[in-house]
Amino acid sequence: MRLIHYKLINLKIFLMKKIYYLPLLAMLIGTSLFAQKVAFEEFDLDNGLHVILHQDNTAPVVTTAVMYHVGAKDEAAGRTGMAHFFEHLLFEGTENIERGTWFKTVSSNGGTNNANTTQDRTYYYETFPSNNLELGLWMESERMLHPVINQIGVDTQNEVVKEEKRSRIDNAPYGKIIYKTGINKYIFKTHPYGNSVIGSMEDLNAAKLSEFKAFFKEYYIPNNAVLVVAGDIETEKTKSLVRKYFGDIPKGAPIQRKTVTEKDITETIKATEYDSNIQIPLKVFVYRTPENTSKDSYVLDMISSILTGGKSSRMYKNLVDTKKMALQVLAFNTSQEDYGTYTMGALPLGDVSLDDLGTEMDLEIEKLQNELISEKEYQKLQNQFENRFVSSNASVQGITNSLARNYMLYDDVNLINTKIEIFRSITREDIQRVAKKYLNKNQRLDLDYLKQEATK
Amino acid sequence: MKNNIVTFIAVFLISIGAQAQLDRSVQPKAGPAPKIQLGKPQTFNLKNGMKVMVVENHKLPRVSASLSLDNGPIFEGDKAGVRSLLSSLLGNGSKNISKDDFNEKVDYLGARISFGSQGANMSSLSKYFPTILNLMADAAKNPVFTQEEFDKEVTKLIEGLKGGENSVGEIANRVQGALTYGKNHPYGEFETEASVKNVSLTDVQEFYNTYFVPNNAYLVIIGDVDYKEVKKLVKKQFGKWKKGTIPSYTMPSVSNVAKTEINFINMPNAVQSDVSVISTTNLTMNNPDYFAVLLANQILGGDFDSYLNMNLREKHGYTYGARSGLRASRHTVAKFKASTTVRNTVTDSTVVEILKEINNIRTKDVDAEKLKAVKSSYVGKFVMALERPSTLARYALNIETNKLPTTFYENYLANINKVSVADIKRVAQKYFTTEQARVVVTGKAIDVLPNLEKAGYTINYFDKQGNSTDKPEMTKPIPAGTTKETVINSYFDAIGGKDNITAIASTMTVYETEMNGSKISVTEKRTATNYLASTAMNGATVMKITANNEGVYMNGQALPPAMSNEMKILGTFTEFSLLNNENATLNSIEMIDGKEAFVIKTTGEIINSSVYYDVKTGLKLKEAQSTSMGGRTQNQEATFSDYKEFNGIKFATKKTGSMGPQKMTFTLADAKVNEDVNDADFK
Repeated sequence: MRLIHYKLINLKIFLMKKIYYLPLLAMLIGTSLFAQKVAFEEFDLDNGLHVILHQDNTAPVVTTAVMYHVGAKDEAAGRTGMAHFFEHLLFEGTENIERGTWFKTVSSNGGTNNANTTQDRTYYYETFPSNNLELGLWMESERMLHPVINQIGVDTQNEVVKEEKRSRIDNAPYGKIIYKTGINKYIFKTHPYGNSVIGSMEDLNAAKLSEFKAFFKEYYIPNNAVLVVAGDIETEKTKSLVRKYFGDIPKGAPIQRKTVTEKDITETIKATEYDSNIQIPLKVFVYRTPENTSKDSYVLDMISSILTGGKSSRMYKNLVDTKKMALQVLAFNTSQEDYGTYTMGALPLGDVSLDDLGTEMDLEIEKLQNELISEKEYQKLQNQFENRFVSSNASVQGITNSLARNYMLYDDVNLINTKIEIFRSITREDIQRVAKKYLNKNQRLDLDYLKQEATK
Repeated sequence: MKNNIVTFIAVFLISIGAQAQLDRSVQPKAGPAPKIQLGKPQTFNLKNGMKVMVVENHKLPRVSASLSLDNGPIFEGDKAGVRSLLSSLLGNGSKNISKDDFNEKVDYLGARISFGSQGANMSSLSKYFPTILNLMADAAKNPVFTQEEFDKEVTKLIEGLKGGENSVGEIANRVQGALTYGKNHPYGEFETEASVKNVSLTDVQEFYNTYFVPNNAYLVIIGDVDYKEVKKLVKKQFGKWKKGTIPSYTMPSVSNVAKTEINFINMPNAVQSDVSVISTTNLTMNNPDYFAVLLANQILGGDFDSYLNMNLREKHGYTYGARSGLRASRHTVAKFKASTTVRNTVTDSTVVEILKEINNIRTKDVDAEKLKAVKSSYVGKFVMALERPSTLARYALNIETNKLPTTFYENYLANINKVSVADIKRVAQKYFTTEQARVVVTGKAIDVLPNLEKAGYTINYFDKQGNSTDKPEMTKPIPAGTTKETVINSYFDAIGGKDNITAIASTMTVYETEMNGSKISVTEKRTATNYLASTAMNGATVMKITANNEGVYMNGQALPPAMSNEMKILGTFTEFSLLNNENATLNSIEMIDGKEAFVIKTTGEIINSSVYYDVKTGLKLKEAQSTSMGGRTQNQEATFSDYKEFNGIKFATKKTGSMGPQKMTFTLADAKVNEDVNDADFK
C-alpha cells in the first residue's frame, strides 16, 4: 500500500505534463482503491442455500455465519417474541451436540460466538482461529439440519428471555426508546413492525412447543438462508467443505410471505410514555420512512449526520452548546426491509420544557426543508461518510455480517464495495427534497418520554 | 482380469462411500495451530518523559493515536467532579484556535478527537493524520478554560448526576465502589451535586497544571503511517511540552469485612436486583499466580460456560447472564466481584447459589477436561486478538506500565498451558472468599427483603450515597381511587355481598383449639350494638368480655374509659366499627406472606391496631393489636385463612393467633348468622 502511494506521488509529479499517460495514472489510483475492496465468491447449493466466501489471509481468523430470512415481522398474531425466543432455543443443542455444550464447544476450541434477531432476520455466527473452520461449518450445519427443540429448552429459555427483557428494557433507563417498545406501536398500526422483537410476557408464556417445531419447519430451511465464510481460508477447499456439511440438508417448501402496507400518517400522533428508571425526560419525534433499499433511506442517514454528527453538527451546536437547552441530542435513521423510522430527540437541561425542545427541533427541520445545506457542510458530510466507509470493513467478523446482510436484505452483495458510491451520488438537492417529503409535523409521532413517579 | 474388475469395483465403491460418508456424530478436529508472529511496536522517547510507540499497519488508509498520562489514581475528595469538568473543558479549541473553528475543522475532515482528564484520542484517514494530530496536540498543550464554558459544564454535569438516580445499575456500581474501597479512596469516591458545586474554574486550571503533564505520558500511534515521518511529527508537536511536578500520594489501605454480610440498597423501582459478591485481594500482573487466577476466574464466571452462568442462567433461568471478574491492579488492592441481575423473587436464592459456586471452585478440583477447554479458549482469544493492530500496542504498554519482562507475551501461551488443576484450587482459595465478602444487593425492599432476611446473614442497610441507613419501610402507596370504604366494601363483597352483609342482624362464631391437652374454645357473638367474647377451657368459662355503647367489660368489671374508648369493635362485623371510627385510616400496602395487603390502621394512646385485607381477593388476612399501658406493651396477632361458606356468608375456618411468642391455631367449629344470639347473652 505504501509502495503504491510512493510510486503514485512520484509518477504524478513526473506525468503532470504528459496527459497521454493518464490511463496509467488512473489504473494506479484504481489499484490503491482495489486494495481496500472486499473480494468474494458466491454460489448456490442444490438445496437452495446461498453461499458467500471471502478470503483474507492477513490474520489467522475465520468467521462462519448463517443468516435466516425470518424475524419478528414473520410472527403470528399473539406470538410476539417467538423469532427471538427461537434464536435462544437454537443454542439448546442438536442431535450431535449435547444440550448445554454449544458455548463450551466454541470456547474450548478458542472461538467466540453470538446471535441476534431483528424484525427482518436472524443471524448466527462463530469466529474461530483459522484451524477450526470445519468445526464452525459442522456446528452451523447441525443447527440447520436437526436441532433439538423440546419442552425443557422452551421452559428454561422462557425464563432467560424474560430476564433479558427485564434487564435490557424494563430495568434500564430509556429502554423503551432504545428497543423501540415505546415508539413502534404508534408508527405501525397494521404492520408487524409495531410489535417488539423481545415480545410481551404474556405471549412468551403462551408459546407452545408444537408452534416452535412448526416455526422451524417453515423458516429454518436452506433455501431461506445464506451461509457466509470469511477470513483465513482457501476458497476452493472451503467450497468442498461447505458442500460436505450443507449439501445433504433437505430443501424446504417455498415460504408465503404476507405483505402488509401501512396507510400514510397524515396527522400528528401525540403520545406520552413513562419510564421508572429515568430522572430526565426526553422529547422525541419519530417519522416513518421508506425501506432500506430506497435511495432516500441513505439520504436520511446523511441528514442525521448533519444534525448530530460531531460537535459542529447543527443540533448539537445549537441546542447543547449555544442555547444550552439540551443535555444531549440524538438523531438516527433505522431502516428495515419494509419501512424505516427516523428518530430525533433531545434531553432537556434544567427547567427547559419538552415543548421548547420540540420547537427548536422544528426550526432545524424547517431549515433543512427551506435551504440547501452549504457547500462546506456538504463536503464535510462526504468526508464523514468516507471515514465511515474505510472503517466499515476492518474486521473479518464485520465483513461477514455485511456480506450476509447485503445479500439478504439488499439483494446486492457488492454493496459492501459500492455503498460509498451511493453516498457520493447524493446531492444537496436530494437532502432538501427528502427533508420536505418525510420530516413533516403531520407525519410524525410527537412523544413525551417521562419519568414514572417511583413507588415508595 | 477378474481381479482387476473386482479391484476396480471395490475402488469405485470406496470412493462413492467416501463422498457419501459424512459422520455427523463426530465433531471435526482442529487443524494444525496457525503460526503467529508477535511483532513489536517501534518506540522512541522524548526528553520530557513521553514515551512513543508506533505500530505500522497499511491494510486500511486510517490512523488512530491515543495519549495516556499514567499518573495513577487521583483522589479528588471534596472537589469530586474536577476531573470530569476538566475532561469536558479540554478540546474546546486552544489559545490558537477558537472552539467553533476547532470543531468545524475536525468534523470537516470526518475525523474524531476526544479528551479525558488524563488523556486524549484521535482517529482519521491517513491523509489527514498530521493535521488532526496537530489539533490534538495544540488542544492538549494550550487549552482555554472560560467561565462561560465552565458554568455550562457544571450545569450539565449536575443534570447528568440527577439523571442516574433511578438507574439500578448506576446506583449499584456507585455504592459498591464506596463500600468496597471506602469513600476516602480514589476508587470509592464519587461525584455529588455538593462536591461538583464546590469546584471552581481555578480548581480546574490547577488540576490541569498539576496533572496534565508529559512526565508519565504514553503516545500510541497505530495505522497507515511511516515510522520516520511519525517520529519527526511527534517531536515537533510534543517535544517542547514542559514537564511538571506531580505531588506524591499514598493510597489508603483497604480491608475486607470481618465476616460475610449483606449490604442492601433499596431501589423501589427495581424489577430486577443487582446481586454482587465482592471482596478485595492483592494481585499484580507480575505475580506468578497471575495466569492461574485468569483461568480460575474464567472457570468460575468468565464466560457463558462458567460455573456461575451455567447455574444461574442455564440451570435456574434466574438471569440473562452471571459473571465474575478479578483484574490485576498495580496501584491498590484488586477487586474480586461475582455478579448478576435477577428478577426480584429469586434474589435470595441467587445469593445462595453464587456463594455455593465460589465455594465449589475453592473446595473441589476442577474437571481436567474443563481446565483444558478454558486454556483452549485463552489460546484462541490470544490468537484472534492479533487481528487488531491495537493489540500489539496494548501489549507493549502493559509491559512498560506493569514492569513486566519483555518476553511476557511471547511466553503467555506457555504460561497458560502450565496451570494445573491443583493451581486452580490453590489460587481460588487464596484470592476468592465466601467468609469475608460483601454481598451487595441493590433492589426493591418490599419484594426482596422478607426472604433475604431468612438467609442467615447480618444485613446492613445503605442509601444511594453509600451511607448507613435504617431498614426501609416495607410499604407501597395506595393506588388512586382506593379508600378505606372501597377496601371494606371489597371485603364484604368477597364474603357474601355488601347488601347481604348490611342486612344481617347477628353473627356467632365458635373457634376451638387444643393446648396442653385441654380444649379451648372462643365464642364470639355480635350485633350492631352488643359484643360478647367468651373463652372456655374444657367447657368451663374462664373469661368473658362484653361491650356495648356504654363501655367494655372484662368478667363483669368495666375497663378504664381511656382504654375502652379506643376499643371500637361494635358491629355484626368489626369492619362496621372501622368504617365509623375516624381514627381508622387506610394506611398503605404491605406484603403478608408474599401477598399484597391493604392496611387499615387505627391509632390511639393505648391501643394501636392494624387490619390487613388481601389486595387481590379482598379477604381479611390478619389483625394485629398492640396494647400499651403503664409502660408495658402487649402484642397480639391473628391470621385468617381457609374461608368457607356458612349460610351464604364466608368465614375463615382457620385462625392462627399469637400472644407474644405463644402461637395457637384455631379451627372454626360453628358459625351462625341471625341465629342463636339473644340479648341475654350480653349480660
